[in-house]
Amino acid sequence: MVSKKLTIVNAQGFHMRPATTFAAAAGKYASSVTIKHNEKDIDAKSLMNIIAACIKCGNEIELVCDGPDENEALAETSALIESGFGE
Amino acid sequence: MLKGIAASEGIGIGNVMIIEEFSLKYTPKTVTDSQAELKRYKDAVEKFCEHTSKQADSLRKDVGKKQAEILEGHIQMIKDPYMGAEIEKLIQSGQCAEASLEQICNMFIDMFSAVDDDVTKQRAADVKDIKNAILGILLGVNEVKISDAPKNTVIVAKEVTPSMTAGINKENVVGIITETGSQTSHSAILARALEIPAVLSVENALSSLRANDAVIVDGSKGEIIISPSDEVIKEYSEKRKAFLKEKRELENYRGKATVSADGKEYELFCNIGNPKDAVKAMNADGEGVGLFRTEFLFMDRDSTPSEDEQFEAYKQAAIVLKGKELIIRTLDIGGDKEIPYLGLEKEENPFMGFRAIRYCLKNRDLFKSQIRAILRASAFGDVRIMFPLITAVEELREGKKLVEEAKAELRNENIDFDENIKVGVMTETAASGVIAHLLAKEADFFSIGTNDLTGYTMAADRGNSFVAYLYSPFQPSVLMMIKRIIECGANEGIPVGMCGEAAANPMMIPLLISFGLTEFSVSAPSVLKVRKNISKWTKSEADKIAEKVMSFATEQEIIEYLKTVI
Repeated sequence: MVSKKLTIVNAQGFHMRPATTFAAAAGKYASSVTIKHNEKDIDAKSLMNIIAACIKCGNEIELVCDGPDENEALAETSALIESGFGE
Repeated sequence: MLKGIAASEGIGIGNVMIIEEFSLKYTPKTVTDSQAELKRYKDAVEKFCEHTSKQADSLRKDVGKKQAEILEGHIQMIKDPYMGAEIEKLIQSGQCAEASLEQICNMFIDMFSAVDDDVTKQRAADVKDIKNAILGILLGVNEVKISDAPKNTVIVAKEVTPSMTAGINKENVVGIITETGSQTSHSAILARALEIPAVLSVENALSSLRANDAVIVDGSKGEIIISPSDEVIKEYSEKRKAFLKEKRELENYRGKATVSADGKEYELFCNIGNPKDAVKAMNADGEGVGLFRTEFLFMDRDSTPSEDEQFEAYKQAAIVLKGKELIIRTLDIGGDKEIPYLGLEKEENPFMGFRAIRYCLKNRDLFKSQIRAILRASAFGDVRIMFPLITAVEELREGKKLVEEAKAELRNENIDFDENIKVGVMTETAASGVIAHLLAKEADFFSIGTNDLTGYTMAADRGNSFVAYLYSPFQPSVLMMIKRIIECGANEGIPVGMCGEAAANPMMIPLLISFGLTEFSVSAPSVLKVRKNISKWTKSEADKIAEKVMSFATEQEIIEYLKTVI
């Protein structure tokens, strides 16, 4: 299991477009991808669950990946957040 | 006339096309062959995705990538592994596809609607849109053909869903009217992207309007005129032309520096009231924020916001601004802004009473928590602190002492902040104008709040119709104050801005240029207009006008003269 703490930097937080991109990226991997936010575990492969979590700009989250390709999964998903989803 | 929310500016003149809602009623039933039912459901989803993806492609061509992504999001939503699995589970348990889809979609609609956040609430509308589209396919109901709209069509609907908006041909559709929706709904965002005037949330629009009615949509004012006379049509055609012309002209100023005709650069900032406004300020091409009012954090609640809560809000704005200047004004309560839990007593004369910096300096815990929150946010951008309602040098000194105390605490706690954070004064009282030369020695910047400065200088309440005639920033006394504050700031080499409404007034701009103002802070929609107005003046032309203006004895003469030269 690998994990990383991150701050959401794009202005609109996890709105539709970033959430869609993120769920699609997480979905490519065999490993589980979980977002820890406000003491809740969110399955990052589910767009609907990400939206319901209402993650905003400035929020601190932890990404946790667990499985055979956990390092690749963490690298790609954390890069997305750090880049602010290219906004 | 009908009224609604002005959601997309501009004027549209055309004929009504009513978009009916189809009945999506069905009778829930139990299914014996759940495998066949599952296939029926999956086929419908497949058809939906195919159709939506086609719409997204055409939207990408006509409107833009970001808008197309909203529709692509619909595909992602219905393909969501969690949501899909739940629906399929229900079908396999013997429930029909329609009821299974509806049950799970409604669960998410309720979940998203319950969140206290506009963006998440909008997702409920997306799920509803998906649900209705797939129900339509399952029930074999034909969908609306908006794409067939003839020239000069004004679309009238209960709600314009994202999938409907995607079918809109912007050559033919000149206006949009709906019974529901808000400034931030997809319909509004798409209407703005398509540059189609739109008025949303118009009560009884569907019963008040009939197909082919002639109608004017004023998306700037949120008004709809039914069956206008030829005269009114002519009037609005002129308005429409003028609107389009000004819009084209103003767009030329987007992305440019704010420069006078003789090449002097100015800062052009925005006034904001919450972190979301910071996004608007950036979209409006603001170069920073000259006034971030912090009252929103304290109002409409039962207790004081925590330091962390304040920090999150200030930090969010700082991140949005990406290193551009952000002037945060400390709490300005009292006067007309009531906050019950702060226990402020009713006063005979609240505007001259216990408010703003006076209240904060007597409630140090509350004040320090705000200062600490602002300091912590200063690690994330170019953040500055501004004290409101300063009338004496001691107030500035005491405020600065608290800033130093807060800095020492944060240092001990190993928390990052900007050691050199600038602390300025909002010069908005007559007293601060008179002692501006003293304040300028100890403040890092001034920002002139013309709304209060005018009221306090003239001792006139603009809300009182008997004395409102006195309330004008063009009164010789107010102009003298403004000039003095700017000159005192310049003498000490500190920047002087203006964050009151007067900063955007075309008649005030040459005077401010002549006096030596360095920063204009205006509402987001005024940014391009003010940039254009500043670009018209050279210093010597502005000086000539200012000299003449300052030679007049009355406001009336000043206004009359300015009208002849602006």
